Amino acid sequence: MNFDANTIIYLLEIIIGGLLVGVGVHFVPVGGAPAAMAQATGIGTGTVQLAAGSGLTGLLSAGLMMHAMSLSPTFAQDGYSIWPILLTGAVGAMIMMDATMLTGSWIYAYAVGAPFASAKVNYDPITMFSQPPYVAPGTVGQGIPTICFVSGTIGAAMGGIGGAMIYFPLVLINHNPAMSAVFAIGIFFVDAVLASWNIQGTIEGFHDPKFKKWPKAFKACLVSTAILALVAVLITPLVGGV
Amino acid sequence: MDAFGMGLVAAMGALATVAGASEDIDSDIGSQSNPNSQVQLAAQVGNPHRIYNKAIAGEPPSNALWCTTAAIMAYVLIEGYHMPLLFAAAAGASLAALFDGVMSVSAYLGRNASQARFNQWIYLDILRYTTPSIMAHVWITSFCIVLISIIQVYVLTPHHPFPIPVIALVWGLTVGAIGSSVGDIHYGGEREFQWRLFGQGLNTMLSGQIVRKAEAGLRNSIDNAWFCAKFGGPCTGMGFGLTVFLDNWRTTVFDPLTQATAAIAMGIFFVIVMNLYNFYCELSARRKYGPYPGYKGDIAA
Repeated sequence: MNFDANTIIYLLEIIIGGLLVGVGVHFVPVGGAPAAMAQATGIGTGTVQLAAGSGLTGLLSAGLMMHAMSLSPTFAQDGYSIWPILLTGAVGAMIMMDATMLTGSWIYAYAVGAPFASAKVNYDPITMFSQPPYVAPGTVGQGIPTICFVSGTIGAAMGGIGGAMIYFPLVLINHNPAMSAVFAIGIFFVDAVLASWNIQGTIEGFHDPKFKKWPKAFKACLVSTAILALVAVLITPLVGGV
Repeated sequence: MDAFGMGLVAAMGALATVAGASEDIDSDIGSQSNPNSQVQLAAQVGNPHRIYNKAIAGEPPSNALWCTTAAIMAYVLIEGYHMPLLFAAAAGASLAALFDGVMSVSAYLGRNASQARFNQWIYLDILRYTTPSIMAHVWITSFCIVLISIIQVYVLTPHHPFPIPVIALVWGLTVGAIGSSVGDIHYGGEREFQWRLFGQGLNTMLSGQIVRKAEAGLRNSIDNAWFCAKFGGPCTGMGFGLTVFLDNWRTTVFDPLTQATAAIAMGIFFVIVMNLYNFYCELSARRKYGPYPGYKGDIAA
């Protein structure tokens, strides 16, 4: 492979994918261990793990879609079309995130017995429900209110598109889905971890004041993904593809 | 759409449901992931206990490890030795269970030994009869996930381009993420703190004050598994089952090549329905439990 205009497009696609992952993590409402004890609003797990779970489910869907395209009888003329791949990645990630949040909500509502409330806003911007009267003392909210659910869905969509956008050029470079998937998983984790440090592990969604810090994660992800993209693009011609 | 493909997708959904449930119960028996913070803290605030305490890693990485280990062995047996698929999956799952047993024992011994100064003992009877239950649940989880991967790669058309270990890695991460976000709430929020006031969140002041007495005698991790298998486990299974089933259903019913738009639109429809269902859950919880009785602010409920 020569270093031509296509290579620059591949580099840019990987970088944009990484940035989407980095910013998308800020949308996912995670409360960490306190949320699992109904002491904080959001999903009771770590940011990176949830973002990775949803983004990589999207990656599986995107990989299947891309493979299905290559089986088409008119593939030699048409080539790949990027939009169905990106959108199916986003939908796969959204389905995983929503199924997780929904079943989590069942447990908050019907087992732990906690009304959903956010401690960061007085009124839910979507439903206009009042929040402070439902926040128990000694907690910073409980459950997954509508605003957090919608924010999580948006974050998953960004993660899914990002994962697919990293995977797509890698397959075009090395023609090896397995290696591209592993490389995409690696880049995904780097960006998710950087974003997670930026929000100090917990966030409620785009209504949380911490969300305003996203430009810092954006810059960090830009630098790290640019280096990783360069390595990803050059490693095949240097080491030899399959 | 063909009937065989639909049957396979249904089987994958069923396998995923079982995998999700057993993954959550495995983490509840071992107090892995989020509720581990409370089990760890309990001894430090003067509540030594007889609950198993393993935190090998976060649930997603550890499950990804078990499932990938099982999948690699299955892959080698299938590709290298042409073994039957089911036998290969079972052999891989057994290897994963052995790995998990070794790490669980070292985690339990290490964690409790480091808490000797807080009067926390190492109970050899707990170690003896709880570790096999953990290993058994890991076996079920990795077996189901390796089977899902095998179906996706060898049977379902179009065949998935990723090899079995990569798919198992991704599904292992996903099942761990769902178990950590869904099932842990039932164990951490409900089972560990059963005498708090119902209908509100858990006050931070109660941290470490976990329930140590069981329905009969002292509570151990098998009692927790008995309780969490009633709701937390099935909910986790439902979450993972929905993920695997809905995601594969839309690309099986609609051909990903010629009907890509319909497959994507169907996925977006599922997402909208789940958003509305969560709104219903929020509404019913607010109506059922009401505002906190001692609230003194000026915002009307």
